[in-house]
Amino acid sequence: MCSSINMDYDYLIKLLCVGDSGVGKTSFLYKYTDGVFHTQFISTVGIDFREKTVMYQQSGRQHRIHLQLWDTAGQERFRSLTTAFYRDAMGFLLLFDLTNEASFLEVRNWIEQLKTHSLTDDPDIVLCGHKCDLQEKRLVNQNRAREFAKNYNLQYLETSAKTGQNIDRAIDLLLDKVMCRMETSVEYAMMCATGRRQSLQKLQDRREGNSCAC
Amino acid sequence: MALNPQYDAIGKGFVQQYYALFDDPASRASLANMYNVETSFMTFEGVQLQGAVKIMEKLNSLTFQKIGRLITSVDSQPMFDGGVLINVLGRLQCDDDPPHPYMQTFVLKPLGESFFVQHDIFRLGIHDIA
Repeated sequence: MCSSINMDYDYLIKLLCVGDSGVGKTSFLYKYTDGVFHTQFISTVGIDFREKTVMYQQSGRQHRIHLQLWDTAGQERFRSLTTAFYRDAMGFLLLFDLTNEASFLEVRNWIEQLKTHSLTDDPDIVLCGHKCDLQEKRLVNQNRAREFAKNYNLQYLETSAKTGQNIDRAIDLLLDKVMCRMETSVEYAMMCATGRRQSLQKLQDRREGNSCAC
Repeated sequence: MALNPQYDAIGKGFVQQYYALFDDPASRASLANMYNVETSFMTFEGVQLQGAVKIMEKLNSLTFQKIGRLITSVDSQPMFDGGVLINVLGRLQCDDDPPHPYMQTFVLKPLGESFFVQHDIFRLGIHDIA
């Protein structure tokens, strides 16, 4: 399956696009990857994924990041997303349709789903109020969405696949969160490793000093 | 009651009629007549529902505008109470989504000269492995 993918990258990051059916997930990803993607449909799990390689600057270093953007194939209509869809996802784009209030009310449930299925209780999520070009049809006002996002500690953006507004920015924000988490966990692991070395050293010192280790 | 020798024709006829009503938004509501107000069960993607009202609420909450279907097989068996057990393997497509395989199982229970759907189990054929 991966034969045609350029394997020359530093990180492979899997992001999921979720939200009620009809909110515009596919057109969001289509806009983001337009021109530089090939999409693959895996029918056994019912997912579609697109890929894009981006350059990312972190701590003065340039990284090549290969993004895998997973999209549902409409099975969320039946409430039948399988755990394979969520597995190993590192960040989530959670979309609702600004012209459809029900899709906004469902955001709470989606957050619960993500918490249940993702690797952590505190997953990295960027909330997008999509289709913001349809101002005359808008049913969810910006303050209400902002307030909601603030309560859940999410970043909120208003996006449009038609005009391209904030599409790149939403993915960049999510990527920042994911990379930041990765860096922190690497640092933490290093700290643990160093910490262990230090306490081993202390233990050894005490032993050599013939004192009790307790 | 005895086994119904017409089980195969009943199964195929029912499936055709059921989906004809289901797939037409204008007539979907009349599916309510196929279920009993109290004694019909549905398991829809693992969610258990009882009674025509709850079942219709579920069906009406599905968000597609258009649905198309391919029925691959309809396997039926006669039941000892005169009912018919039906298993459907098919593929459905909602709006512009990619098509998904699905399975649906029905138990038709005799009611006078006719039947009602006593059990209905639905699952999309998507798996947990990629």
